[in-house]
Amino acid sequence: MAAEAAPPHLELHGLEKRFGATRAVQALSLSVGKGELIGLLGPSGCGKTTTLRMIGGLMPATDGRIIVAGRDVTALPPHRRDMGIVFQNYALFPHMDVAQNLSFGLEMRKIPADERQQRVQRALAMVRLEAFAARKPRELSGGQQQRVALARALVIEPSILLLDEPLSNLDANLREEMRNEIRDIQQRLGITAVFVTHDQAEALAICDRIAVMRAGVLEQLGTPFEIYERPANEFVAGFVGRVNRAAGHRGADGRLLLGDVVLQGTGHAGAGPVTIMIRPHRIRLTDTPPEGIGWNSATGTVTRRTFVGDLLSIEVALGPASLLVEQHTFAGAVVAGPGDAVRLAWRAEDTLVFPASPAGVFPAPPAGVFPA
Amino acid sequence: MIRSGPGRYLFLALVALLFLFLLGPVLLVFPISFSADSFIAWPPSGWSMKWYAAMLEQPTLGVALRNSLILGSIVTVLALAIALPAAVALSRGTFPGRDAIMAGLTAPLLLPTIVLGLALLIIFVGQGLIGSWPGLILAHLLITVPYALRVLVTTLGTLPASVEEAASSLGAPALQVFFRITLPLMTPGLIAAAAIVFLVSFDEVVITLFIVGPHLTTLPVALFRYVESRTDPLVAAVSVMMVLFTLTLVVVLERAVGLRRAIGGKAG
Ligand SMILES: Nc1ncnc2c1ncn2[C@@H]1O[C@H](COP(=O)(O)OP(=O)(O)O)[C@@H](O)[C@H]1O
Ligand SMILES: [Mg+2]
Repeated sequence: MAAEAAPPHLELHGLEKRFGATRAVQALSLSVGKGELIGLLGPSGCGKTTTLRMIGGLMPATDGRIIVAGRDVTALPPHRRDMGIVFQNYALFPHMDVAQNLSFGLEMRKIPADERQQRVQRALAMVRLEAFAARKPRELSGGQQQRVALARALVIEPSILLLDEPLSNLDANLREEMRNEIRDIQQRLGITAVFVTHDQAEALAICDRIAVMRAGVLEQLGTPFEIYERPANEFVAGFVGRVNRAAGHRGADGRLLLGDVVLQGTGHAGAGPVTIMIRPHRIRLTDTPPEGIGWNSATGTVTRRTFVGDLLSIEVALGPASLLVEQHTFAGAVVAGPGDAVRLAWRAEDTLVFPASPAGVFPAPPAGVFPA
Repeated sequence: MIRSGPGRYLFLALVALLFLFLLGPVLLVFPISFSADSFIAWPPSGWSMKWYAAMLEQPTLGVALRNSLILGSIVTVLALAIALPAAVALSRGTFPGRDAIMAGLTAPLLLPTIVLGLALLIIFVGQGLIGSWPGLILAHLLITVPYALRVLVTTLGTLPASVEEAASSLGAPALQVFFRITLPLMTPGLIAAAAIVFLVSFDEVVITLFIVGPHLTTLPVALFRYVESRTDPLVAAVSVMMVLFTLTLVVVLERAVGLRRAIGGKAG
């Protein structure tokens, strides 16, 4: 993507945060292009907030360096970093009205009053809150507070925008609307932004690139497409999108086996026990499976069928494994029910192979689809 | 909770009895203050306003009242001036021994006041502080700062740190954050702390008894002395004024900031 080619604007070099024995962030290095929206994605407690707070100067780094536009800001206090931060709980100033909230950062920058007023007006217009300038934060809805928080962070024209789970306090349909609004504004202003979220759909939808983290470690950095289609490991594949997971084996001759079915897959080529992962919607139910190279096919028995309107979920027992197959529904479709034998087909490139994970890494059932 | 039947009435009666027991003596003071007798007796043989008139003509009590008001005001200002920075340091700073310092600073609340009074007497005698303004102010600060500290630490504990962080990310250095954000948001807590400090100082007898002198006394101590020598209903009239004053302050406070919210919650 275009943003990747831009010169690095924010660089993290070996960033590290320890709380006593806890290594909340470990040797994190990444660089963010100018105007790029990068997502920090991972389960709760993986160190996203800690990373963001170190970038914003709200928390000292134990080790490592933070570079903005070539300048080392690691030791700078937050008020000299020139970063706009949108907090999870918005953190609006409750004793100030909306206009005063927005004006605060400009006053700190000693912007003259008339220019301040113009910029506050422009920022309010940007988030469509012109009519609310005189309201106190408590007189606003969650979505409006969110937009004030965003406008307050942007009105100072910061060099970098930091957002910590900005949408997690909104209800589902507002969340989608707001995430698109944030993305629009970010692109319009061409501002470099770091967006923390634990919601993979949110990250896939709006980020230029995503850094997937687990337990303080960067697991993969890539575009949404790369993260989804070419996950670097079992964790990323499982965390981003829904996926079937089955224990398989690769022989010394290179043959990939799921039970006694021979498959073609992509990824890990080493011999030994492997984990095979296939996304449910990439598997087809078909009487005439495509032949030849690039396709896998197998016969299984339907164990369960769930109709959820636009999707039909079918669980198929395939040897020792159980695969979930998702099909878009259409009127008049003939579908198999429990007990029926069905033929499945899917592409070799959709068959992700990883070295089998050591026991205990995934507490989830040994086979099946997750997240459930 | 008992909601119906005779149990409910029994419960209400019990509550009423409890209130009567707790507030009875205070309520009794009201009719006695309108007594026409020249000694405290129940029931009074007649009614009059003469003890209120006598109160205004009592020079010692008048001066003592003035002293108490001045003392309360000075102590309130100083107690807040001491407790505010201490509360900020205790709840925003992270340094070793934080909890121990907090415990030490609130310890005077737990000591028997008679012990404190004696200790102060011993120390003050040597310094010539007995019967002096500085002595009284110091003693009252010792009693009131812990209250102020508790209220202010509670207040700061309920302010989300992210609001201050937002201000500093917007370019505000620490002092600006404090004066533009933290302090304004602490207003309810500051009002509550001021009122509590004033009331505690205005009410304090035990410790004050040890350190007042012949030329400088406070209203509660003067009243105490007064009833030692005489038992006329004048003290009842004064008590009524004190109760009304305290009540007014509490009601105003409750209306302004919600007293229970301001003093409630955890201290750390
Ligand atoms: N102030 C702190 N003191 C001690 N441990 C902390 C502190 N802040 C975060 N942690 C720990 O660091 C890890 C990462 O936390 P955090 O960055 O908040 O995760 P996330 O935002 O990804 O949910 C967690 O294990 C958390 O318990
Ligand atoms: Mg977090």
